[in-house]
Amino acid sequence: MFGLALKNILHYKGRTVVTFALTFFSSLLFIVYVAWMDGSHAHMLKSTLDIYENALHVDKKGYRDEGGYDYLIEDVSAVEARLAQTPGIRAFSPRLESFALLSTPNDSVGAMVVGIDPEREKALSKAAEALADGRYLEANDTGAVYLGAELAQRLKVRPGDVIAFIGTATDYSFAADNFRVVGTFRTGLFEFDASSAFVNKRYFDTLMVSKNMASYIVASVDDLEALPKTVAALRTRLPGGLEAVPWTELMHAQVQAMEVDSVFGYISMGVFFVVIFFVIMIFSFLNIVGRTRELGMLRAVGLSPHDVTKLLLTEMLLIALSSVGLSVAVGAPIAWYYEVHPIVIQGIAEAYKSYGLVDDKLPMRCDVFTIFWNAGTVFVLNVLAVLYPIAVVNRYTPVEAMRHV
Amino acid sequence: MRLLLCWLAATALMFASEAADIVEKVEDNLRGKDAYMKMKMVVTSARHERTVEIESWSVGKKKSFMKILYPPKDAGITFLKLDNQLWQYVPKIERVVKIPPSMMLQSWMGSDFTNDDMVRESSLVDDYDPKIIGREGQKVTIAFTPKPDAAVVWGKIVSEIDTRTYTQIHDVFYDDFEVKVREMFYSDVKTFGSHHVPTVMRVHPLEKGKEKNKTVVELFDVVYDRGVSGSYFTKQALKRYSR
Repeated sequence: MFGLALKNILHYKGRTVVTFALTFFSSLLFIVYVAWMDGSHAHMLKSTLDIYENALHVDKKGYRDEGGYDYLIEDVSAVEARLAQTPGIRAFSPRLESFALLSTPNDSVGAMVVGIDPEREKALSKAAEALADGRYLEANDTGAVYLGAELAQRLKVRPGDVIAFIGTATDYSFAADNFRVVGTFRTGLFEFDASSAFVNKRYFDTLMVSKNMASYIVASVDDLEALPKTVAALRTRLPGGLEAVPWTELMHAQVQAMEVDSVFGYISMGVFFVVIFFVIMIFSFLNIVGRTRELGMLRAVGLSPHDVTKLLLTEMLLIALSSVGLSVAVGAPIAWYYEVHPIVIQGIAEAYKSYGLVDDKLPMRCDVFTIFWNAGTVFVLNVLAVLYPIAVVNRYTPVEAMRHV
Repeated sequence: MRLLLCWLAATALMFASEAADIVEKVEDNLRGKDAYMKMKMVVTSARHERTVEIESWSVGKKKSFMKILYPPKDAGITFLKLDNQLWQYVPKIERVVKIPPSMMLQSWMGSDFTNDDMVRESSLVDDYDPKIIGREGQKVTIAFTPKPDAAVVWGKIVSEIDTRTYTQIHDVFYDDFEVKVREMFYSDVKTFGSHHVPTVMRVHPLEKGKEKNKTVVELFDVVYDRGVSGSYFTKQALKRYSR
């Protein structure tokens, strides 16, 4: 049966080439499209994680929903000791976030001012790496502020200028001080750069009455894949009232936006596959019905309808396997190459900045499992497309089939 | 049927007009031509209790000047409200700062009042349509719904007013989804000249997580209609009267 199927494939060259090409290109398109979609989403999430959020936060229950000073961690050193004992935690540092007014004689802008440990923060965010002008914060800085470049632009200040900070201390008293701008940063996250400023927490604590206090503690992990296990281990160690929150929960809205975008991507591909399915089915139908007399002859010399089904299915399986196999052989290296060397589309970061895209790079993601299920879907569709034409041709008796015009 | 509709329309207009009259009288009663007062504000939150003493001068609805007297750390901070704008002067940094729109919903001095409350407290008549929705003896309940083009924070305010003294008894503030966000209780009505004023105001936020918070404002040394110098209502005054 295999030999006969192979002979037929080589004999009906036109049908073979068209079916092969349709299957190959649709499978290749699916592999590349999904790799690009997944890669871009992963890149956007990773950018946001690396810039500021990192893998997990430890905060007081209620902080993420309500915010404010009623939900501060009040014994940071004790929590840090627990973090240090937790396997899988790589680095951690406390942050004190405060919404305050930054003011120059001419402009006032509301901003998120964050007290950080400048040295430890280097391992947890891109703040230091994103330096645009001046310098990053230093451990012994007092009255120094490191501003988002867009925020600096809104305030019309440069390194060396002085701005006033006016906010509320953690005891709800008035907190005000003059800060000298030591540097500006540009992460690429427009909203972040336009509304964030960092100060040395050690100095900030004297102003905000927040010694040994923090809004939350940010932490990175050794292995992001093992994050659920690390979070579970940490939760057993944390004092009551505190929670360990992984990035998937911290960035829930962004993750959901990506998922919705993926669903729309799959719907688009679904429509495309419906079209491909019917094209292959109609093409197979015409081809198989066109071979009715030949199949009638085979039936007359002793082949059963079951044998005919096996023959036609074997032909389709061989074509589909070879074309899908080739699409994997071509698609996987493409996905791998563009994962390592991302596609750069000038200006796309501007268009998609609300999704967290910080540069013009759109990498693909070369994931073996994803590539195989993409190719498998196309393969299954091909096999399904040939079932109806086989059923039609098997309805004829051998005599009817041989007389078929 | 037409007669009934005319009667209903006339009644609605009469109620609206009466409601506006009552609100006008409450505001006149509270503000007078001008007023001077001292206030003690006690802010209670889950972690802290804090007392602030304030001295205030005002002329009508549009102009007011406030100075923090206590605690010593904050003494000398001054606020100036002109129309819908708010400035403050902070002695420590020697700078006059205008509060930008993005900061209007931030807490004022750590209390359950926002900066927007300080600016818009006078605009009930200007920004809302009042309507009487209930009566019980001398107590009238008025619902304030925002005028179509008004840029306001609240979706609705329901206020109980004592028409014997034209003073508020209880306010409930709703958000745009008709969810209760804040309650204010007024008590200890005292008479200063021809003005009846509730001298104790309690604010209770109703949002999740703020159940334990409250702000109590107590008025004392209240003087009405004795003339307040116009010199308080300039930006220069913020620094001058800070000392």
